[in-house]
Amino acid sequence: MPNALELTAAQVFRRRLAERLGRSVLLMITSVAALAVLGIIFFIARESIPFFRDHGVVDFFFKNAWYPSHNPPEFGAAAIFLGSLLVTAAAILFSVPIGILAAICLSDMLSFRVRQVVKPIIEMLAAVPSVVFGFFALTIIAPWLQQLGEHWRWLGLDSGTNALTASIVLGVMALPTIVSVSEDALQAVGRELREGSYALGATRAETLCKVVVPAAASGIFSAVLLGIMRAIGETMVVWMASGNSARIPEPWFNLLQPIRTLTATIAGDMGEADQTTGSAHYSVLFAMGLCLLLFSFVCSLAGERVVARQKRRMQGR
Amino acid sequence: MKKNALAVSASLLLGGLAALAPAADLRLAIDGSTTVGPIAKAFAEYLTRQDARFNITVSESGSGNGAKSLLNGTCDIATLSRDLKSGEKAAMDEKGVKPVVHVCGHDALTVVVHPSNKITGLTVEQLRDVYTGKITNWKELGGFDRKIVILSRDSNSGTFECFGELVLGKGVKVSSNAETAGSNGAVLQRIQSTPGAIGYIGLGYVTDAVKTLAVNGVESSPETVLDGTYPIARKLFMVTNGEPEKGSAAAMFLGLIHSKEGREMTEEVGFVPVFDGE
Amino acid sequence: MKSTTTLPETRALPPRQDVHANEEAVSAAEKVLRGRRRRDRLFSIGGGISIAVMTFFLLLLVIPILRYGVGAYVYRGTIEDRRVQLELFERGNADRLAQEWAQVSAARAPIYKAFQDFEAELSTRSGAQRRTLRKEGKKLHELVSGLLGVFPDEPIPTLLRDRYGKTRWDQAQQQLERILIMETWDYSGEEAVLVRSPRRDVFAGTALEPVFDLLETDPESLLLPRWTFYPQFLTDASMDAHFFGGIGPEVRGTIFLMLGAMLLAIPFGIIAAVYFQEYAGGTWVTSLLRSCVNTLSGVPSVVFGLFGLAFFINTMHVSPGKSVAAGALTLALLVLPLVIRASEEAIAAVPHTYKEAALALGAGRWRTVLTVILPAAMPGILTGIVISMGRAAGETAPIIFTAAVSVGRAVRLGDIFTEATPALSWNLYNLCTEHQSIHEVVHVQYGMALTLVALVLLFNLAAIILRARVARRLKG
Repeated sequence: MPNALELTAAQVFRRRLAERLGRSVLLMITSVAALAVLGIIFFIARESIPFFRDHGVVDFFFKNAWYPSHNPPEFGAAAIFLGSLLVTAAAILFSVPIGILAAICLSDMLSFRVRQVVKPIIEMLAAVPSVVFGFFALTIIAPWLQQLGEHWRWLGLDSGTNALTASIVLGVMALPTIVSVSEDALQAVGRELREGSYALGATRAETLCKVVVPAAASGIFSAVLLGIMRAIGETMVVWMASGNSARIPEPWFNLLQPIRTLTATIAGDMGEADQTTGSAHYSVLFAMGLCLLLFSFVCSLAGERVVARQKRRMQGR
Repeated sequence: MKKNALAVSASLLLGGLAALAPAADLRLAIDGSTTVGPIAKAFAEYLTRQDARFNITVSESGSGNGAKSLLNGTCDIATLSRDLKSGEKAAMDEKGVKPVVHVCGHDALTVVVHPSNKITGLTVEQLRDVYTGKITNWKELGGFDRKIVILSRDSNSGTFECFGELVLGKGVKVSSNAETAGSNGAVLQRIQSTPGAIGYIGLGYVTDAVKTLAVNGVESSPETVLDGTYPIARKLFMVTNGEPEKGSAAAMFLGLIHSKEGREMTEEVGFVPVFDGE
Repeated sequence: MKSTTTLPETRALPPRQDVHANEEAVSAAEKVLRGRRRRDRLFSIGGGISIAVMTFFLLLLVIPILRYGVGAYVYRGTIEDRRVQLELFERGNADRLAQEWAQVSAARAPIYKAFQDFEAELSTRSGAQRRTLRKEGKKLHELVSGLLGVFPDEPIPTLLRDRYGKTRWDQAQQQLERILIMETWDYSGEEAVLVRSPRRDVFAGTALEPVFDLLETDPESLLLPRWTFYPQFLTDASMDAHFFGGIGPEVRGTIFLMLGAMLLAIPFGIIAAVYFQEYAGGTWVTSLLRSCVNTLSGVPSVVFGLFGLAFFINTMHVSPGKSVAAGALTLALLVLPLVIRASEEAIAAVPHTYKEAALALGAGRWRTVLTVILPAAMPGILTGIVISMGRAAGETAPIIFTAAVSVGRAVRLGDIFTEATPALSWNLYNLCTEHQSIHEVVHVQYGMALTLVALVLLFNLAAIILRARVARRLKG
């Protein structure tokens, strides 16, 4: 052997081979993990096909008649789709302004010390399980609203479990996500821009509104998207606190009436649907799952696009 | 205090270790109606107390789910608050499952309202009009001027089906204004907190916090169920795949239905025990 | 950058004007300035309010759960509680209990006697009065046996809840209130009015009247409430559908589900993270896989439940029906993106110099990853894992169709492929919506909520501490 440190051709080959092999094993495992999502989409879609084949699409989305166990059954889920959108929109309307303001406050107004305490607390709030929020909605918020309705009968607030209860609690649940992601985005803006703006004589509010927030817009946008995804996909809170009635409120935006959402319908009806015979009631729930899945898919794609564009812009390309 | 905490963690750990040891179990999975749930839970509790080898799980996921689980062989006893449907029977036939239906008690679908409600009773027709949305204010029934909040059960619950059959009649739909609740307990909770609400629950769930309404002038009670005068009464069922073998866990469980203890428990959880020779 | 062009224009500064207009200009400028300041202050107030709103909701959530949840562990237990502990769990001092029991029996004796006398007295009353009294007496009997347990001369009921009286002093007080005050509704007016009247009035002049004196003046002698610390709430099985006992099976189920999920998610998650960070090039395959992981993290939890049901149970037949294994698999999918992301971040945070040094020393890529990068990234990875554990423990929707039952024995390791299990999250739902007597088990609901929150937050706290230490170490 001429030199102990030098590798022979065979050794090099073996090393390369091991490297290649290892790499492809890693790729395989990674693919399994990553492609699980395709598996999910595939299976949910496969189980929902019988429904779309037998009952069509139009009635499902646009008809308002939800009698899945009736004979013959009717699967007009318009009210349920509206319910999902309504609580999500209301929750977001509640949590976005508060969340963004809180994020701004956290990143630019509070001292470093306070921030170090507040931020973990917010993260912990994000970790509280959803069923606990549902419990909270049912035992604290709902009775409050109930009493409010008793006091002011003109409100037409007949029951404590309604869209408003669900929206408030969903909003509270979405808050930590929104705050923490937008705060990260605001922090990422950097000192130079802020100092530049201050140097030009702008007040803090002006600096924040006209410089920092626009610069962090894409991060804030993805925070809002995450909030929306969290709210529309949430099950336990709406199942426990929304009243679960499959009807369109009057007028349609009336939050004080009970509604029913996609997620609650899936959770509540699956136990009863006949699974072995592949009944329409079973597959319609998968159809709803598919809609939720597609919605979150679109949201996360949009989020990715925006973040990528921002990245390009930041890099000055 | 510290000692106690130590004891807890030690017992958690020991429990985990003990979990490794296999045990000869009398295993029994029960799935189905929330209405029959209290009976099943009481029986399970009783048997487990008698003999620690019993390992009984009770799911209260609904009558339809119970039938499905039996069909799939994932439960040993399905509890139903309605009879098996022809579709379910056909599916079971196809799969070679031979359902044996055991009546395990009787129940009155009790119509309940908030105690502040002036109404004391309704006729079946009035009840139908309320639930189909023809009557929307308590005033129309002689009560106070208050909107009626209709509480119904998920359209797939056995309780709902019985109600639909006995009150609404075939093919009549519940008003889309009705709120639906997933279980008897949920209905009860909503009624207690909602002055304008009306709902129907199993007799066993009735508490002092709600007011029961007489139907066609007959109060719901074990007596009126027994003598057949209460118009919306029903049977509760436990279904097995084939007659359970003598000495098996399922047989012991079902044996309770007709035993003295079983009848007592059924009565104590608020239902009407089976009649003699039923 | 585009946004920098939107910097405030300098209109805020007083515009240069000739001398005559100067004064006017100054006051105008002052006005503008004042307006700006006011807006600035408003903005700050807005920020403060939003933080306050968040804090308000946090407190609103935490305080009741803490206050009532602790009540499941520490409470004033009555003698009935000590009887339950001794007779059902073989715990406590039998001699002392016997002593107390003698004391209580003596105190209760007049009540039981009064009921007997009342029964005898009824026959002396006239028809209509007898009927009402009998009805009311029956009602009172029911209420009192709810408070004190079954009467001594009566057959022992099969159900435990009817055998024992109120085990908790707070519940006993509520029951006392129910006994002493009768609530009836007066329907004569425009609205129903709640009328509260002493129940004693109904029984005026009967043998039962002295009972009310006793209940009003010295109820403690009947139940001997004493502060009780019940840590075994965490491990005891529930007795009679959560009327007595603890939440042992639920805690065990939650831990099994969580550990099972992590067992599956950790290896996959770390390997995927290593691949993404160390091996993946900028090819379309990588970006596809990345998008997939991102999408996975956005899938609603209930959809995971659907998938678990359709795939693990109905297609793969992991178990014949709901089981711990099926639930753990479903949860593993749910936390997988979290683990991947956290591990990736941790690996990315490992200084490049580490890797370069290892490579320069002639270590292969494998070896570098295994012996240098992973150990250095481990605290960060652990943080992610711990947070994911909290998530797995708290999720409800994915286990509804795959693992959860409302009553079951504490699950054992050998049963995970066949047995479903109760779990904290699902049973909290079950107890506060589906239980037969929701109001009798409020303490268990809060106890479960507290335990679940504590479990999850403990994990998160651990993560935060871990992260702080990592940050300190990286700073050097």
